[in-house]
Amino acid sequence: MPSPDHSGLFLNRRQMLQRSGAGFGTLALQALLAAEGLAASGGSQLPNPLSPRPPHFSPRVRSVIFLFMYGGPSHIDLLDPKPELEKWHGKAIPVWKPEDAFMGRKTQNLAMQSYYSFKKHGQSGIDFAEVYPNLAKHADDLCVIRSMHAESNNHGPALLQMNSGFMQPGRPSMGSWVTYGLGSESQNLPAFVVLLDHQGAPVNGALNWSNGFMPAAFQGVPLRSSGEPIAYLSPPKGVSTSQQRARLDLLQQWNTEYARTNPADSELSARIASYELAFRMQMNAGECTDIAKEPAWLQKQYGLENPVTKHFGRNCLLARRLVERGVRFVQVYSGGNDGPKAWDAHDDLKKNHDLHCAETDAPIAALLSDLKARGLWDSTLVVWGGEFGRSPVAENGKGRDHHPKGFSMWLAGGGIKGGIIHGATDEFGYNAVKDRVSVPDLHATILHQLGLNHEQLTYRHFGRDFRLTDVSGEVVRSILA
Amino acid sequence: MLWSVALVFLLPTALDAATPIAPQALDDFEAKVRPLLIAKCYECHSLEAGKSKGGLLLDSKAGLQKGGETGPALDAVIPEKSLLLAAIRWEQKELQMPPKERLSREEVHILETWVQQGAPDPREAQPAGHAAKPSRLETAKSHWAFQPRRLVGAPEVQQAAWIRTPVDRFILAALEEKNLTPAPPADPRTLVRRVYLDLIGLPPTPGEVESFINDPSEAAFATLVDKLLASPHYGERWGRHWLDLARYADTSGLHNDLDRPQAWRYRDYVIRSFNEDKPYARFIAEQLAGDEVEGANEESLVATGFCRNGPTNDDNMGNNKEQYRLDELDDVISTTSSVFLGLTVGCARCHDHKYDPVTSADYYSLLAVFNGTEKLGVPGDTKNKAEANTAKRIEVQALVETKSRVRPTFLLRRGNLSTPGAEVQPGAPRFLTPIALEFPTPPANSKSSLRRLTFAQWLGAADNPLTWRVHANRVWQHFMGKGLVLSSSNFGLSGSAPSHPALLDYLANQLVANGGRLKPLHREILLSSTYRQACTHSETDAAVDPENTLLWKMNRRRMEAEVLRDSILSVCGSLNPAMGGPGIKPRIRPELLDASQRNKWPVIDQEGPEHWRRSVYIYSKRQLLMPFLELFDAPTTTESLPSRAQSVVPTQALLLLNDEFVEQQARKIARIVLQETAPGKTASLMQRILSKPPSAIALQQAESFLTTRRMDFLRDGLESSAAAEMAFSDLAHVLLNASEFLYIE
Repeated sequence: MPSPDHSGLFLNRRQMLQRSGAGFGTLALQALLAAEGLAASGGSQLPNPLSPRPPHFSPRVRSVIFLFMYGGPSHIDLLDPKPELEKWHGKAIPVWKPEDAFMGRKTQNLAMQSYYSFKKHGQSGIDFAEVYPNLAKHADDLCVIRSMHAESNNHGPALLQMNSGFMQPGRPSMGSWVTYGLGSESQNLPAFVVLLDHQGAPVNGALNWSNGFMPAAFQGVPLRSSGEPIAYLSPPKGVSTSQQRARLDLLQQWNTEYARTNPADSELSARIASYELAFRMQMNAGECTDIAKEPAWLQKQYGLENPVTKHFGRNCLLARRLVERGVRFVQVYSGGNDGPKAWDAHDDLKKNHDLHCAETDAPIAALLSDLKARGLWDSTLVVWGGEFGRSPVAENGKGRDHHPKGFSMWLAGGGIKGGIIHGATDEFGYNAVKDRVSVPDLHATILHQLGLNHEQLTYRHFGRDFRLTDVSGEVVRSILA
Repeated sequence: MLWSVALVFLLPTALDAATPIAPQALDDFEAKVRPLLIAKCYECHSLEAGKSKGGLLLDSKAGLQKGGETGPALDAVIPEKSLLLAAIRWEQKELQMPPKERLSREEVHILETWVQQGAPDPREAQPAGHAAKPSRLETAKSHWAFQPRRLVGAPEVQQAAWIRTPVDRFILAALEEKNLTPAPPADPRTLVRRVYLDLIGLPPTPGEVESFINDPSEAAFATLVDKLLASPHYGERWGRHWLDLARYADTSGLHNDLDRPQAWRYRDYVIRSFNEDKPYARFIAEQLAGDEVEGANEESLVATGFCRNGPTNDDNMGNNKEQYRLDELDDVISTTSSVFLGLTVGCARCHDHKYDPVTSADYYSLLAVFNGTEKLGVPGDTKNKAEANTAKRIEVQALVETKSRVRPTFLLRRGNLSTPGAEVQPGAPRFLTPIALEFPTPPANSKSSLRRLTFAQWLGAADNPLTWRVHANRVWQHFMGKGLVLSSSNFGLSGSAPSHPALLDYLANQLVANGGRLKPLHREILLSSTYRQACTHSETDAAVDPENTLLWKMNRRRMEAEVLRDSILSVCGSLNPAMGGPGIKPRIRPELLDASQRNKWPVIDQEGPEHWRRSVYIYSKRQLLMPFLELFDAPTTTESLPSRAQSVVPTQALLLLNDEFVEQQARKIARIVLQETAPGKTASLMQRILSKPPSAIALQQAESFLTTRRMDFLRDGLESSAAAEMAFSDLAHVLLNASEFLYIE
């Protein structure tokens, strides 16, 4: 059901291209029309998997930026203060269970108070640790969920659950579900973009943005974290754009023919779409990723001048530019590879979180301000969090182990009540006890904001209708504005 | 090892259980109490059910004594106050058991009487909490992959006419069972291209296609297969599969990404071994124990590069040298067990495996196997002790021993160096060796402990249940697009089940019977009707088997990264067939070279024949993988990769559209074909690239494209012959991007 009241948000692709400003619209539009003409003249309707599709109901937002703090940020040291832990510091807490410790006996039941002091911020008085001074200024914009809980205390499965709802590989990731449900709003950029930490990809690599059993066209596209964000964006010397377009027209004609004789192979139509998209990316992505065009003061606000913040800041700025251009789902990773390069603070929590907070604080704050300034706040949902939190007890004296039974995330942007805290963990920050939010609940809520009913968004595979939320998930309505 | 650990935990229970139970009480327990517990409680509180709700287990005496989250179930001092009774009497609102249906008065009475008598309990189970281990062992014992291989006969089938080799019987029997129909045979042109790409990774020339078309008989196909198996390109193609597993690279990866100037010798060793069709057991032994095998020589030392390919931090070790040494051996142990055994053992470094019966003790027994080794040929380390000890300076990158005595190995609790536990002896995983693997005492003058050789011989023994299945499955995977076991490096409990278990055993048995040589197995698979099916889709069959698990058609596969690049070189007449030697560094766009600040990639203006060698020879720099290969899913080389992804992303299209490499090759083939005097240049170009003559329609489309393009170029001011060449080059470029070229049918 298309939404009459959101026509401004949901342009069809021709409108999108026509409105996209001078310089690029014409060629890309020609390209698009040419491709459509080809498909039509062939007498068969090869579905373009990325064509825009109507949502189930009026959406609140058009895009999602998921700031993924890979490794597991410590909720009790950032967003969920537990003064009680000071009393219990060095003592055993009653809620602890040995089987919750990922690191086995390295983690013992000895509570560890936070290294950080907390203060209440904004009119709402939401608590932030001292390591998030800039983010804290946005207290009244954020809905902090303190009652998240997930199923696995191991990075691999936990990342997969947060990304695909399932702890085994093979299911489509959230960005794929969203693209499958809504198609692409941008005809010249991928619908689902992944921006990796400069230290590398998280564990599971591309499985984290995999299309699983869905057609390959729905998989996430990682952009390069340094240098030209998209490799091979410009044609070789001596090849003109019109020459390239002519080649592409014949190529698509032949590829369409080949795909039509093998209609069951979705990969073949995905490849056709990938060529069209590549051509449009070439025309436009360079413009999109050219952050040097942003004013100097804004670059500074994102931390691009500071070696500590410049990598994540660049990706945050890129994320804004991507959603501004209609990209549906942007995932920005903080933390790459493993161990200290991620938020995985086993050995020394303070050292680890000092670094990663410093890397992300200013850029995230700048992103939130920037989305507002650009009028993107209401059409963008910002999600912050990791695959789990960290344990209230100490590991090796100064670190914290993985902990999925209670942790914090925050949401902000379109359709989200700002300045509220939802749910709570117990006095130790161990178990989520009040208004618990599961990963499927979170997924259902994100889909809801995009105008998708998580129970209706199904994909038939192996004779069964699969959902991102599988058999559970409830929209957390009390946090919706 | 596992049992001695478990024994410690068993001890207290065993002592408790020693208190005798009166015969009458025992009878009462067996007649009334146990059946009641089983019927009403075990569903939520037993190991068998896998549930311990509220942390409570009621299937052992210890479980009752320990109790759950609310405390012990029994009160030894005042039995009447036992929580168990409170629960079954539904005394407290929050503790009513069983929760859905209250016990009858009689049933409550049985348990009351029993508790009041002191709850005599003969059930000598493991204390809850540690009981999961034996339970997992029990499960593991019956796991299919750990069973000895069966001697399987090929099943009977109805459509006997379809059968060409025994492989077909297994496939067809499964298809017939589901009423599925095999696809028609692939046409000879499709088949010949498929078998060339599968065996040597290069498409056939038009002449090679035509000679098969002229005689597509059974004998001709068999001859063709033999010819390709004998080609040196076979080793380049199949060696590459092995290099994926061996996480092969030419640099150290971490920190400054140091050059490994001798790594390529291992790559060449692998290619040579495949070309020689080296028996698999020997191939294993050389790679793990090249210094210990019979007839050890420089070649076999090079083979131990397998143990040296992992990413390392040679230039930035700091003071944690022992930790780094153990980390590097961890990479060796993890890779060895996943590649040869299909087991994920690495996790047992810190804790017992979560799914498989691999214990920490098993892990450290494997460490003991490798613990005496030293590294030869470490970049930047010229004063290496091991090197100084060898009389002749050898530059190879190897892993060797120089003494017969090995430092003692201790189980490290949580994998932590600071908490060593008991000493462990070398060994193979105990659940696979009911009789502990025996390690001989090396002779006094021995230069090594012979531990790795002993272990390698166990791996390569004909009766090892995993080794041969794992290897045969990999062969199948590379011909069919996926393995009979999809998780080809995980045959454990969390891996996937085989689609055709009997066929897997049959193939593994054949591999053993062939002395561990692959080429006879290739022949058997390639000559089958199964392999020769077309990719023809069938809606009816897809409705039953949407993933084509039962192989009612051939899977269409995208060329792997290297095959694609090599095929472009080959059809454009550029391929330089020189084999071996140090890695080559083809052109990478200069703006992408930022990523290699150290150990830099050269800036290359234009590529020449020295770059146009097969992609297996491209220098594999961990911090800057060749973009062409990386984008088309070549391995990242950080760890062993059992199967490649087949992704479709627009960045692949950008590369094929915009990389100077494709442009240059298109121009080259255009010029070559234009210089041919014969008519039919357009058809000839198309045939060269797609390995088959074009259809009339495609040819017409190509001709009209050429006409338009020529006019465009003339309009742009090019003179006639240049315009014709440019137009022709544009056509070649399109063909090199075409799905029909990219995919193997």
